[in-house]
Amino acid sequence: MSVASKNLWRFLCATVAIILMAATLNFVVDPLHLFRPARLLPAMYSPDSRMQDAGLIRSQQFDTVFMGTSLGIHFRQSDIDRVLGVRSLKLAMTGSNSREQGFVLAAAMERRPKRVIWQMDDWIFRDAPEIDSDIYVPADLYRRNVKSIAGYLFSGAMARESLWILARAIPPFEPIVARLTNGVMFKFPIANVDDINALRPDFDVAGFYNAQNAVAAFRRITDPARSGSIAEGYNYDAMVRGFERDAVALIENNPDVTFDIYFAPYSILQFVAMRDASPATLKIAYDFSAYAFPRLLQFPNVRLHDFRDVKEVTHDLGNYGDVIHHSPAIDLKILSWLAERRHLVDRAKTLVSLERLKAQVEAYKVDH
Amino acid sequence: MLFNSHSFIFLFLPVVLLGYFALGRRSHLAPVVWLTLASLVFYAFGGGQFVPLLLVSIAFNYGVGYLLIARKLGPGARFTALTTGVAGDLAVLGIFKYAGFFAANLNALFSAGFVVKIVLPVGISFYTFTQIAFLVDAYGGNVARYALPHYALFVAYFPHLIAGPILHHKDMIPQFERAETKRPDPHLILCGLIIFAIGLFKKTCLADGIQPLVAQAFGSNAPTFDQAWIGVLAYTFQLYFDFSGYSDMAIGISLMFGIFLPLNFNSPYKAVSIVDFWRRWHMTLSQFLRDYLYIPLGGNRHGSILRYVNLMITMLLGGFWHGAAWTFVAWGALHGVYLCINHAWSNYGPKAPPRFARLADIAGAALTFLAVVIAWVFFRAHDMPTALHLLSKMADPSDIAFGRVEMVYALFVAIYAALAWFAPNTQEIMGYDHKNRAVGENLRAQRMKPLFLYASAAVLAFGILGIQQHSEFIYFRF
Repeated sequence: MSVASKNLWRFLCATVAIILMAATLNFVVDPLHLFRPARLLPAMYSPDSRMQDAGLIRSQQFDTVFMGTSLGIHFRQSDIDRVLGVRSLKLAMTGSNSREQGFVLAAAMERRPKRVIWQMDDWIFRDAPEIDSDIYVPADLYRRNVKSIAGYLFSGAMARESLWILARAIPPFEPIVARLTNGVMFKFPIANVDDINALRPDFDVAGFYNAQNAVAAFRRITDPARSGSIAEGYNYDAMVRGFERDAVALIENNPDVTFDIYFAPYSILQFVAMRDASPATLKIAYDFSAYAFPRLLQFPNVRLHDFRDVKEVTHDLGNYGDVIHHSPAIDLKILSWLAERRHLVDRAKTLVSLERLKAQVEAYKVDH
Repeated sequence: MLFNSHSFIFLFLPVVLLGYFALGRRSHLAPVVWLTLASLVFYAFGGGQFVPLLLVSIAFNYGVGYLLIARKLGPGARFTALTTGVAGDLAVLGIFKYAGFFAANLNALFSAGFVVKIVLPVGISFYTFTQIAFLVDAYGGNVARYALPHYALFVAYFPHLIAGPILHHKDMIPQFERAETKRPDPHLILCGLIIFAIGLFKKTCLADGIQPLVAQAFGSNAPTFDQAWIGVLAYTFQLYFDFSGYSDMAIGISLMFGIFLPLNFNSPYKAVSIVDFWRRWHMTLSQFLRDYLYIPLGGNRHGSILRYVNLMITMLLGGFWHGAAWTFVAWGALHGVYLCINHAWSNYGPKAPPRFARLADIAGAALTFLAVVIAWVFFRAHDMPTALHLLSKMADPSDIAFGRVEMVYALFVAIYAALAWFAPNTQEIMGYDHKNRAVGENLRAQRMKPLFLYASAAVLAFGILGIQQHSEFIYFRF
């Protein structure tokens, strides 16, 4: 064999060896806990819910699943467990649509939970791409097929995280590595599952959730230059299609699971912004509720909670960071309402809360 | 199909290589046909509906070339054939690339209500320019008659087809005709793999890694002074490692087939002037624009004023070639102005004393880099207001965030800058000499330590491990 041929073989064998070493590291550390719950090394978690949820579903013990958007992202599992007396798993994803939520929930259903708590609003049912065309959701990781396992094991980014987790598990390195774990350089900076996407203790809650911010956000979205965004994604037919495909189908397919569905307490400013800047959008939101509420309550395993007309919360703008996102104090209130089953929609009078909301929106005057 | 995809690396490339060398043992023509067909399959993965357009373009230009080379036409008929050929190429390019742009501008001016929605065929700019050069040279009597399979391979050759480098028939077709290239050469395959590895590493581990930082400046949020600079610098290095990574991969892949592609990059951010920059950045495009636009326009042969006019026209069209948008025109214009200033300074400005030459070079490199970075803002921005807004943020040091995220991002940018400025480039590492068809002589002579071989293997392994599902080359859009 010529020198060049020998060099070529050496080169190829070394390449394969290094790739296999990285795959072995990923398999042993298993940053996503796809193969097993963390035992060898302390677990670390990522705030990237769409990726992290695939492993959480596999590795965590739970009887209740919590799903939602950014409106549900800061809930703590420990609070859910304490207030509702369950063992929960939070799968909320910022900016998620119903297709993503339905897909992740369907994966979670394979672990046979008893209950789903689902934060809904009309916005999640906007038109969305097929799950395999959604670049933000690693769909195959949820399916655990060969392609996804290979992609996971033979991933340099994952190997980097594995090395990081490994280094953090070695006592002399732990303090330095922990200090560098800032969420910017590495994707798995969270040591406690309860802290995933929860607000940090040093977060300035009062500085973020206050009436000034809420009103400023209202002014921003109703500014004629930007108000077109209010109507974005609001198409009644598409929303009904998404609702039937993602929510109704999941409920129908899991008759043994109790679905506690709640419509989140937006600030009143959200609806007022629609009223003032895009009345057609407000009509779609109302029409969608008028369609979805009776439809959901056709299922005996659904309990529907509508918090949108809870005036003492939605009209107190100090509870909000913008026109929709509420403070952690409201998170706790929501849990207590769910526990007490307050604001439960009556199966016989499905649209009463909607009518109350309409009246509130009509009556509300924005201070100029 | 992307070079940085598992299907390309583990399936397409090995199959095409094996087929090429297997056929090469039996015939000289069969490997050429095989490689042409493989190139069409490669192209079809990126846009199957445009394969017929590519084939028609090849047939049309080959036909016009045949008239110019083989037929004994009179001067008038030859000129008509050339005009028809070039006009045909430009018409196709114009329809697919610029019709929407012109319609949008007409609508803006006259509320005309034109609706033009045409999908841009991948690589059309590259294969059109390649063939225009062929026709012009054929008209000038500088082309020997080529067989159709070799010509078709020259145009469709998959390592260059989608994002360059822009090839020249005189350089490529004789290589396709050589018998030696059809026999596997382990040395060239190894060197090709190492060059490919460096390119893949640049793409997957460097360019894709810095991409999220770009959003700081070009995303939806209004950036602060430091965020704007970090984002724009991140784009500056992303574009460099993305495009130069692609060019390295193209050279490496081609080398495995025994074919030497021209260099497209020579550490452009080390340039000490804008003239130097354009000799180092997208070198094949610069050469094309010089030989087929700037010189035919008159170059510097008609006085200094017309030279500056020609420079401006060349760079404006160079900008417009990159994309049908005013931002690209602005980018080209800016570089035209830079070049004019550079030439004027060289002619009329003071010369640095020899003892300050090094200092002058450093100052020139810093100024050149700054000018290039400013121009990239127009290149990347979606529209002119966004570009101007971003530039205003870059000029407003009163608004600074510099939090934890910005500090880490600044560190990343510094590492990328160090690599671009101080690391040797691929051709220096590998001793790639396109002109003399030589590469890796140190490796061949065993002057390189085994450590080099294993480090190269690690680079390939990291490049493969870094492959992401969603990644696209920036130059695919051009």
